[in-house]
This record gives sequence, C-alpha cells and structure tokens, in this order.
Amino acid sequence: MHQAGYNQNCAPPDMAKLQATMRAIELACSSIQMHANPSAAEATILSLNQSPQPYQACQFILENSQLANARFLAAGAIRDAAIREWAFLEADYKKSLIRFCWLFIMKHAGSPEGYVQSKVASVAAQLLKRGWLDFTVAEKEAIFLEVKQAVTGSHIVDVQLVGINFLESLVSEFSPSTSTAMGLPREFHEQCRTSLEMDYIKEFYCWAQYAALNVSHRITGSDTAIPEVKVCSAALRLMLQILNWDFRAKKKAVESSKRGLDVYCGEIKQESNFLGRSECILVQPGSSWCDVLISSGHVGWLLNLYGALRKKFSCEGYWIDCPLAVSARKLIVQFCSITGTIFPSDSGYMHGQYLVQLLSGIIQWIEPPDAVLKAIECGRSESELLDGCRALLSMATVSKPLVFDQLLKSLRPYGTLTLLSVLMSEVIKCLMENLSEEETWSWVARDILLDTWTAFLMHLDGSGHNDMLPAEGISAASNLFAIIVQSELKAASTSAFSDENEYDNLHASIAAMDERLSSYALIARAASSATIPFLTTLFSECVTRLHQGRGTSDPTETLEELYSLLLIAGHVLADEGQGETPLVPKDIQAQFTDVVDADKHPVVILSGSIIRFAEQSLDPEMRTSFFSPRLMEAVIWFLARWSSTYLMPPEENKGNKSGCENYSNAQLRSEHSKNALLSFFGEYNQGKLVLDIIIRISLTTLVSYPGEKDLQGLTCYQLLHGLVRRKNVIAHLVSLDSWRDLANVFANERGLFSLNATHQRSLAETLALSASGMKTSEASNEYIKSLTSHMTANLVALSCKNDFKNIAQQPDILLLVSCLLERLRGVASASEPRIQKAIYEMGFTVMNPILIFLEAYKHESVVVYLLLKFVVHWVDGQIIYLEARETAAAVDFCMRLLRLYSSHNIGKISVSLSNSLRSEADTERYKDLRALLQLLANLCSKDLVDFASEPLEAYGVSISQVVFMGLHIVTPLITSELLKYPKLCHSYFSLLSHMLEVYPEIVAQLNNEAFVHIAETLDFGLHHQDGEVVDLSLRALKALASYHYKEKGMGKVGLGSHATSYKHPGGKVQEGVLSRFLCSLLHLLLFEDYSNDLVSSAADALFPLVLCEQSVYQNLVNELLERQANQMFRLRLTNALQSLTNSNNLSTTLDRVNFQRFRKNLHSFLIEVRGFLQTI
Amino acid sequence: MSDEEHQFESKADAGASKTYPQQAGTIRKNGYIVIKGRPCKVVEVSTSKTGKHGHAKCHFVAIDIFTAKKLEDIVPSSHNCDVPHVNRTDYQLIDISEDGFVSLLTENGNTKDDLKLPTDENLLAQIKAGFEEGKDLVVSVMSAMGEEQICALKDIGPK
Repeated sequence: MHQAGYNQNCAPPDMAKLQATMRAIELACSSIQMHANPSAAEATILSLNQSPQPYQACQFILENSQLANARFLAAGAIRDAAIREWAFLEADYKKSLIRFCWLFIMKHAGSPEGYVQSKVASVAAQLLKRGWLDFTVAEKEAIFLEVKQAVTGSHIVDVQLVGINFLESLVSEFSPSTSTAMGLPREFHEQCRTSLEMDYIKEFYCWAQYAALNVSHRITGSDTAIPEVKVCSAALRLMLQILNWDFRAKKKAVESSKRGLDVYCGEIKQESNFLGRSECILVQPGSSWCDVLISSGHVGWLLNLYGALRKKFSCEGYWIDCPLAVSARKLIVQFCSITGTIFPSDSGYMHGQYLVQLLSGIIQWIEPPDAVLKAIECGRSESELLDGCRALLSMATVSKPLVFDQLLKSLRPYGTLTLLSVLMSEVIKCLMENLSEEETWSWVARDILLDTWTAFLMHLDGSGHNDMLPAEGISAASNLFAIIVQSELKAASTSAFSDENEYDNLHASIAAMDERLSSYALIARAASSATIPFLTTLFSECVTRLHQGRGTSDPTETLEELYSLLLIAGHVLADEGQGETPLVPKDIQAQFTDVVDADKHPVVILSGSIIRFAEQSLDPEMRTSFFSPRLMEAVIWFLARWSSTYLMPPEENKGNKSGCENYSNAQLRSEHSKNALLSFFGEYNQGKLVLDIIIRISLTTLVSYPGEKDLQGLTCYQLLHGLVRRKNVIAHLVSLDSWRDLANVFANERGLFSLNATHQRSLAETLALSASGMKTSEASNEYIKSLTSHMTANLVALSCKNDFKNIAQQPDILLLVSCLLERLRGVASASEPRIQKAIYEMGFTVMNPILIFLEAYKHESVVVYLLLKFVVHWVDGQIIYLEARETAAAVDFCMRLLRLYSSHNIGKISVSLSNSLRSEADTERYKDLRALLQLLANLCSKDLVDFASEPLEAYGVSISQVVFMGLHIVTPLITSELLKYPKLCHSYFSLLSHMLEVYPEIVAQLNNEAFVHIAETLDFGLHHQDGEVVDLSLRALKALASYHYKEKGMGKVGLGSHATSYKHPGGKVQEGVLSRFLCSLLHLLLFEDYSNDLVSSAADALFPLVLCEQSVYQNLVNELLERQANQMFRLRLTNALQSLTNSNNLSTTLDRVNFQRFRKNLHSFLIEVRGFLQTI
Repeated sequence: MSDEEHQFESKADAGASKTYPQQAGTIRKNGYIVIKGRPCKVVEVSTSKTGKHGHAKCHFVAIDIFTAKKLEDIVPSSHNCDVPHVNRTDYQLIDISEDGFVSLLTENGNTKDDLKLPTDENLLAQIKAGFEEGKDLVVSVMSAMGEEQICALKDIGPK
C-alpha cells in the first residue's frame, strides 16, 4: 500500500502518488462491495483514515474520483484526521479545510449522490464546531455570509438546498443530544450550544423562513409539482428542527449565577414528569423570538400554505402524505407547543389568540369527526387526523383547562371539550367495529386523545377547583365515558371465549389496562354526578341479566362484562394506595353537594350494590353457578381497593364541627355531603356490617375455591393484609365472629392446609397482626397463644413420636411439618412489643422439635430452609426484648442449631444427574447460608439495642463470642463458589467487617485455625471485583491494624502471635498477618486496577498497617526503588514516597486528623506515581 | 378455640404406602410428584385457567429422581396428585466388591449388599478414591417406589 504517499501536506503535490492512492482506495471500495477480500480492503481504508495528514490525498479523491463511495470515504478521512490533529494544524489550514468542504458542496449542488453531499456538509459542520471557540466573530461571519447568500439570495433551487442542508447538519451538530463525539469535555459542547443559541440560531430560522416564503407563492400558483417544492419542504424541516432545539434562554435569568455547573440538567425533565406519560415536548424559545414567531403573521402564512396545499391533494405531485404536506403539518403541531416567555405577560390574551388562530386551521383536519373517520375507513390517509389529535394534545398541555375549552368558542357555538368528546367517541366507535384488528390507526388516535384528556384533567386537578368545569364540559365528559364503557363491555363480551393466556391472570390484565383505566377514571370523575349513577345502572342490568338467564343460557359473556365493570368501578371510585392510605378522590368529594341523605349518595348506592352482589357469593348455589374464580378475583380486587378508601376512613371523626362557623352556605352543604359519604361506611354506621361481609367472603375464597392460587393470593396479600394495616379497622375486626371463625378454622382445622404454603404464612402473619386490636396486652397475648398453641402442640407431639424418624419422610407428614413451620414463621414475623411474650413462648416450645426436625430432614432442603427462616424471623423479632435468662436460652439454641447444620453439611458431596437439579441444590445451599448469616446478624443486634433489665454477663453469655463462634461454624461452609452469589457475599463481608470493627479484641483470642480462615477471607475480599466487598474488607483491616497498634502502644500484646513473624522448625518463615496484608495492599494500590472510590478506605487501612510494621514497610520501599531502572522515575518515586509519609505534618497517632492527612497524602502520591508504575 | 376436636393424626404405618395423594395446588417447586409412574422432583410449577371463567390447573415440569429424565404433567389444581414417599438413609460403607456392588452397614448391625455403585462419574470417583485411602465414608441412599440409588457421600474423617 502507498501509506507513505499520504503524508504530503507541505510537499508539492506529487500527481503520480495521488493518483495511486486514489486508485488504491477506489479498488478497496469496489472490492468491499463485491465482497472480495474485505479484510484487506478495510485495512486499506483504515490506513487512509489513520495516516498523518491525509488531507491532500483526500481532497484529490473528492475532486477527481468517479466513484461516489471513494469520495464518501475521503470526506470521512478528512474529518477523522482533522479532529485528531486539530491542535497541530495551522489556523489558516483549518479554515481552508472548512472552506474546501463548503466550496465542494456548492460546486456539486444538485449532484445525484446526495449522501456524499450530506457527508461533506456534516464534515464541514463538525470542523466548524471543533474550531468554534477559536475562530473570531469576523471569521464566522464570513462563513455564514456565504451560507446566507446560498439560502436566501440565490433563487437557484439546488444551491438553496445545499445551504439548508448545511444548516441542518450544523444545528444537529451543535445540539448536545445529536452531536458527534470529538473527545472533548462536555463543557465544550455546552459552550458551543449556548453560543449558537445566543447568536445564530434565530438568524438561521429567519433565513429558512425567508426561503420558504419566497417560493410559497409559486407553489400555490402551480398545479403540478415544481422544483421549488423541495426547497420549501427542506426549509420547513429546518424550521421544525430549530423549534425542537432545547432552548435555555428561558432560564438564563435564573441560573446565570451558576452557569457552567450541571450543564445537562434541563428543565424539560421536570416538566415531562409533571405531564406524566404524554409525549408532548414544550417549545420555549424565550421572549426574543416573539417578533419572528408570533407577531410577524408567520402562523397565518403557514396555515394558508397548508390550506392551499389541501386543495391540491387531488393534483399530480401533491397528496396528503407528500413531504411538503408532512413537514407543514409537523411544523403546525410544533407551533401549538410554543409557550413560555415568548408571549407577553397579558394574562394569556395573546397566547389565546395565537392558539385560536392555529385551531381555526387545524379544525378542518378533524371536523366533522364522523365524516373524517368515514373517509379514513374508505381509504383516505389517517395522518391528518392523527396530527390534528397531536395538535389538540399540545394545546391542552400548554394552556389552562378553561382557556383550552374556550378556544373553540370563538369559532363554533360549542367548546373544545365537546369537540374532543365527539371526536374521541367516533374514534372509539371505529375501534369497536374493528376489535379483532391489531394496533390500527384508531388505537393511536385513541391513545393521543386519552393523553389529551389526561393533560387537561390533570391541570384541572392541580388547580383544585373542579366546579369550574362548565356544564357543557361535564356533559361532554359523561357522554364520552358512556361510549368508553360501552366499548369496553363489548370488548369484554367478545373476548369472553377467547383463550389467550396472557389475559388469564388478573395482575397481568390490570397492569395492561391500568394506565388506560386510570385515564378513564379521570374522565368519569370529571362528570361523576352522571357517570357514577350510570355505572350503577349498568351494573344492576348485568346482575339482572345474570339472574334471568340462570340455568337457561351460558353466563360467560355477562361474567366477563361484570369483570370489566368491577375493574372500571374500582378505578373510578378509589385510587391506588401504594402503601399509603388513599383518600376519597377530590373530584368525588367536591361533587354531590346537593345530596343530603347518605343512603341516596350515588357513591354509596354503587358501592352498596357491588357489595350486595359480592355477598351473594356466600350462597353455595349462587357461587357454583356464577362466581367463577376469575369473577371472584375481580370482586376481591374491588373490595381491597374500595375498602382502603371508604371502609372506616380515618378522617370521619375529625373536622366534623371545627371551623364550620366560617363556611358559607354552599360550603356547609358540600362539607355535609362529604361527611355523609365518609361516615356511611364508617365505624359507627355500616362499616362493621360491611367488614363482616368482607371477612366472610374472604373465608369463602380460601375454603371454597380449592387450588385457585391467584384468587387466594389476592385475598391474603391485598384484601386481608390491607385491612390489618389500619388500626381503626383492626379494633373492630377482632370483635367480629367472622374473624374468630377465620382464626379458628386456620388454627384448629385441616381445611386451610390445602392453601399454598406462602399464603398460609401470610395469613398467619395477618391473624397475628390483628392481635394489636385487642384492648389489653393480656388479651393480645392470650389471642396469640390460642392461635398458635394447637400448631406448636402438634409439632411437639410429632417430634416426640418414637417412630418419627421412619415416618418423617412420608409426604403427608412432610406437608404437615412444612405448613406448620410456614405458619409459625408468619406469626414470628408479625412480632410486636405487645405480643412479644406469647411469640417468645411459641418459639421456646418448639426449640427442641426444631432440632429434631433438622436432624430428621437433613436431606430435605426445603424443610431445612423453612426451619432456618423461622428461627431467623423469631430471633429478629425477639432478641432485643429478651431478658438475660431468655437470651441465654435463645443463644444456646441458635448455637446448637448452627452446629447441627454444619455437621450435616461439611464435607458432603451430593450428586445429581440433572443439571437443573444440581444448580437448584447450589441455590438451596446459598439460601441456607444467607439465612444463617442473617441469624448471626440478628444476634449481633442484641449488643446494640437491649431492653433487658439485667446485663447478659450475669448468665455468662457474651454476644460477641457467640457470634464469632457462629462465624467459625459457618465460615467453612462458605466456599468461594458460593461467594459468587452477590447477596451472600455482601452479607458475609458486612457481618465479618462489623465484627472485626466492633470486637477486634475477640479476634486476638481466636485459635490459629480460625484466625487463618478469617485472614484468608479478608485477602479474598481485598481482591474481589465488587467495590463494596473490597471496601468492607479494608474497613476490617483498618480495625485490626488500629487495634494492634493501640494495644502495642499501651504495652499489651495486641494480636499477639497472629501478628508476629516466626520461623517454623522446618525453616519456613511464617509471616505475621499484618505484614502480609501490608504487602498485598501496597501491591494492590500500586500495580492493580481498582476504582478511585476505594483510595480513601485503602488509605485508612494502609496507615495503621505502616505504623505497625514500619521496618517491613521500609524494606518494601527499598525494594520498589531498586527495581526502578529509569533514573528520572526513580527520583520521582523517591520524592513521592518521602512525601507520602512526611508531608502534611503527619504524626504517628491514630486520630481523625492524621487519618485525613494520610488520605490526602495517598491521593497525591497515587496521582504522582501510578501512571508510570502501572505501564512498566 | 377447641384443641381436642381435631388432631392431625397421620395414618402412620411406616413404609406401607409408596405414594400419598396430595392436592395439586399445594405441590411446590422442589417438592416431589409422581408423573407417568415415576418419582420426580418438581423444578417448575405454573398455573393457568381452563377458559376464562374456568378453574385453575397446574402445569408441572419435573425431573425423575433416578434417571434425571424430564417429565411434564397438567392437573386441575383442586385434584389430587400422587406424591412419592422418598426416603434417604445413611449407611457406612464397608466394602466395594469387584462386580460393582457395595456392602453397607445398617443401623442394627446387619449388612446391606444389594446396591450397585452409582453411575455418576464424579461421585463414583470420590467413593472409590475415598475408600482406597481408607477414609470413613457414609453414603446416603435415596429410595422411592421400590427403587434405590446412592445419591450422596460424606467423609466423616480418616480411620
């Protein structure tokens, strides 16, 4: 290859060599296309890109090659080389490169190979950006003068296009999100961006506008496509691009003080958060743009242009989706999103006028809705309709709700909301007719319109005054909601027999529908005085139909409709709590002010009819004929959602009378109706009755729907668990017969053993939690005892059987034991101070059985895990409350458990023929060990928080010793294979480092074997790839070394024999542990890869290590220096080492100040030497 | 609450039954199940419905505990499945005979000589090596539905 030939920047051109280079590149290009020897061809091209100063050769290729690909590559090579060599190039040469590119595209304007043209234009743009901060204003002006002339002055279509394309590349290059990387810091890109926005971008816009304006009359005047169409649509595209610019001018005033910081945190993000999911991006160019965009009549011109185009759609060369029409529509939609300081502060008058003008143009695209949609059904393109919907979305986003509704009033006798409602109704009708089709345009239109409603109603919600919505708007919303429900019900009944798996699951279907349903709910709530009675009517109709058809027709379709209605009603009536207690939605609170009788309140009527329907599921006959598991899931879901808002709401008691004197009559009435609603299902009204019904329904789903896991899961986790979270509900719950029935069935009968085990656990927890509703603590403890005594007695009886070892493996016994353990685990995790006594006794009773079970089920990993988890939860809930004597018993038990587990598992090799079973077994061991570590960590907490009345030492128990003993038992089980599980690894190391930090003195007392194990583990942790693990190990190391140093200082032994080096009788030197760590830590710091975040903690560990082992450190330093052959480097290293230990007034005491100084020293030391040490 | 009325008595006559009926919905991952007459360990359970408003059914994927073959089954979740009685017993290894049989010491002092060495190469190698080194080895024998196999090994220290 002719690599030598590329380097000819300064030499006189050598034509022969240039020719040869060109031919080589051309050959490479065509051979890549032919797939002949592609790797060699690539190498040739790469060598051009990477050769120093290939400009002359590239320019030669650009000018002379007949092969477009070769020209394309040459342009790329210029770019790569110039960016790389920018710093070395002479200023004039840089400019000449840009000028060359510009002249090239001008000269070849109209060339058919568009991609070469745009590549060269983008190279020019990139080079201009690269030099942006170096070039003087005059230099830039000179360049842009030519561009301006091309765009606005030439009137030659091709030249105009070249100019516009160049500007397009330039704008996209200067916008951070679309810029190309140049290996420069962010600040550079940001400065370029600001500069362009301040000085040029508006000018560019004006040029494009001028170019478009100038050709538009010729376009409107001709009936066929003329070349100027291209210029016009390119100009519109550029304008759109500029309006998409992320303008910062708007916040300059506020942020001028902290410019340069946080260059990428835009305002847009917060705005889009506020907007939720709608995709509308606001355009806020700032006040300086007012003359161009608003007051110049620009909008009118564009609307006229598009209006004229619409008339030409039948002509040749124009159609609804022709590029010019598309760009024009996009720009119009973009105009709708303009907002901010560009409009003068005249309380929105000008903005309103502006939007009305836009709407007057856009309305032709969507009105009359039925005719427009019919035309689309008959084959017309839908893009105009969709753009119209997008424009409405933008308008709803930028304007205040009522302004938005008023917009249309000046053009039509009705408001925008009515149009929106009619339009969306038509779209939904279309959807209903084409249910089977997937993702058609009507889906898109529906989603955009739904977003529009959401944007509108969310604004309304934010301002808090719903009654401001005019009557017309309310009826628009209620009409629309009626159509929506109708379409959902139709969709439900048609899909009733389809067997799609993904919709089988309630969770999946709710998740898929949830977004849509909550938008529907917003619409419904806006008109709740009409929509809620409407839902009631529909619901009763469905129920009646169900009863009428009983025994004669298949109810499936009606069931599916009821299912949908329940989901919709749940969304309309109540919000998702997400762990909080949701309030009655504001819109619902604010309406119905005229309702005086609570039992005539529409919300009460709807809730009541659903609850009465749900109650019918208690009747076995009704249940088998109507209440399918799926319908029951919706019922339970509804009850859970509804009850967290309406059942015994917490605020019903307060605020009833306070401050009423100041209310006006209307406010008083609204307050009254609100209270009526709140108190109707309250504690002192129907609340208790409804609660009773809910509990009885729950019991039914648990007992009468065998094997319906999802349904039972919903009942346990959502409904019941939600109820016991609330104090005022619990108080009534425990007094109900139905609740006692549930507790009794659970504790004393076999029936609920058929529940899924985790559901049993949750149910046990729920039942135990309800104990706090009892009036006295004695009653609570008594309740827990009666709940658990039968279960514990059972376990004890089982474990005492003589033949237990033989029958233990029988499936029925296995099932019984694991169910009981799951339940005890559930109860244990409900621990509260009030019922602590009873739960302690429960655990105490089964201590022995647990050890027996651990022995009997040592091969049954599922049971082993259950046992461990129970103990973990029990200890976690108990340990801090236990008295010293009880603690001693618990700790002793835990140690026996640990020893037994360890004796079963050390040295065990299990083999399974199947891969999946083998990995399953690994996972099981991992889970076991994690549980054991949790157990130890829980024991640790006793030393931190202890409510016992006498000290533990009185019973000879030391928590720290116990935990070390535990670690000693567990550690051998933890293999490096198991440490690959990140969670296990983390909990192991955090426990270990906690122990070493808090109790270093115990380490000194460990026997050699245990100590070696800990040291090895730390060494392993030091070289772990997870930064957090390394950090934990370093902290442990710091603690060990600091302890040793301080003890030595006081004349004690410190770590004693562990820290001293000695010679084995065989002559082998056993190094002290601290000197070993000093070595490996230094090695790590100097030669290995690690994250910079670790340097501080490494310094903290290194400092005491150096102090402990000063002579070892000195030897290491000398060794390091001797190895350094390069004199200059050696000098630098010597100085750096010197200042590491001597600068900053470092002294030899281990206090905060010294640690800090050493951290600083280490940082600067590493910056100084790491670069050359690592490369060698 | 009444404690006396319901005792969870098992009809315990040890080893009498090879399988027990258990409701499909209660069988969990890692539990045992009989599929096509083979004792299996469940590795995956999923539930679905028969038609939208029908009842739940469980789909089991399980692995034969002796042959490691994968088997699948679908059962309505309220119906009963057979669950095998899988037993594991530890024996001390006394001898390995040349024809591949092992001699094991039972709890009551007798020997059990009807088991072959396992086919798994890793385990086989460990047993042979450990035995030759004279280590005290304990093997676990898994048995279910009339079949037996050595499934694990534990070294309880040198002689």
